Amino acid sequence: MTKSIETMWKTGFVNETNLTAPKVNDLYNRKSQNIVDKLQNMFAINIKAILGGSVIMLIMMSLIGAPFLGLYILCLLIPLMVIAKKELEKSVNLSKGQSSYDYIMSFDKWLKDSIETYARYYKIFYPMFFLGMAIQGVVSNAGGKLIALLVEVLPTDIFIFGQPYYLIAAIVILTLVFARYAEALYHLDLNIVYGRQFKKLDELITDMEELRK
Amino acid sequence: MGSDFYQLSILPFAGIIIKICRAYTNSQEDFEDYYQEVCLQIWRSKDNFNQESEWSTWIYRISLNVCLTYLKRRKTGDKEIVSDTLPEEAVDDSKAFASDEINELYSAIKHLSETDRAVILLYLEEKTYEEIADIIGSNSNNIGVRIKRIKDRLNKLINQRD
Repeated sequence: MTKSIETMWKTGFVNETNLTAPKVNDLYNRKSQNIVDKLQNMFAINIKAILGGSVIMLIMMSLIGAPFLGLYILCLLIPLMVIAKKELEKSVNLSKGQSSYDYIMSFDKWLKDSIETYARYYKIFYPMFFLGMAIQGVVSNAGGKLIALLVEVLPTDIFIFGQPYYLIAAIVILTLVFARYAEALYHLDLNIVYGRQFKKLDELITDMEELRK
Repeated sequence: MGSDFYQLSILPFAGIIIKICRAYTNSQEDFEDYYQEVCLQIWRSKDNFNQESEWSTWIYRISLNVCLTYLKRRKTGDKEIVSDTLPEEAVDDSKAFASDEINELYSAIKHLSETDRAVILLYLEEKTYEEIADIIGSNSNNIGVRIKRIKDRLNKLINQRD
């Protein structure tokens, strides 16, 4: 007669020698592979990188004679730092000692809220960043020379803010393109890295919700 | 981590962690990574333990939650991506335990969904339906039905191999 799985489990583990704990190497300094911890680390690094990057940008832009662009970028990056800090604080409440369903649900909610918050801001950040760079390019000496050459090749009588209309139209169109696709680009990038994890989470939630019905 | 904590609060429960981690991994390397991650998270979460449940239940919860959200390292260029599937050849991990029966049972368990693996492991560890529902966060009325379905599936998988 075939043994039941309960008997297999019980008798199989009676003399099991392979239940000895594996060697633990430098556990105290181990880098966690848990997705929550990894995202927390990412937020913490973001805060430092944005702060450092903003200051470097400000100095560099000042050195090349564009301090206002440096300040402008700094102003664009500050909200990103605030978002990263807030998301980091929220994630601290994700206790791994909850029931699996509660843990998965709170993690999923935090993840989705966080992605939505970032995506909303990137929708503003990318087009504004492009616009700032474009305006700086237009008003700079090098930019002025390039635009003069452009007008010689493509002459026009229509000028807006002292610039040929097609240049302004191109900047406006590209800004709108950035605004339109910023969120999609952000999601695409996230999906490349965490797509399978997101899919796995959705499957887990569906399965666990079925158990709760 | 204070080694006292590991020796006194984790090591006596290593069997639980090993049994759970084995069900979610398909190589010795992955298994050791998961084991260490669970230990790390138990230590990090120790201050949240409110003593409403037993310490062993806490260990079951953390072990399962860690296994369910662990990032399996699959390198693609410099990016780390996660894999939610077991390679076919890894399902036949037949030397993890000394007992052939246990290895056979684990091979079958690895064919189940992640939630079903958690349910059956807790059942085999003689947890009551209420305890299983509490750890998983489900309805205890459904646990019995689900266990019946899982056992049928496991028996079918084991018989197919014989």
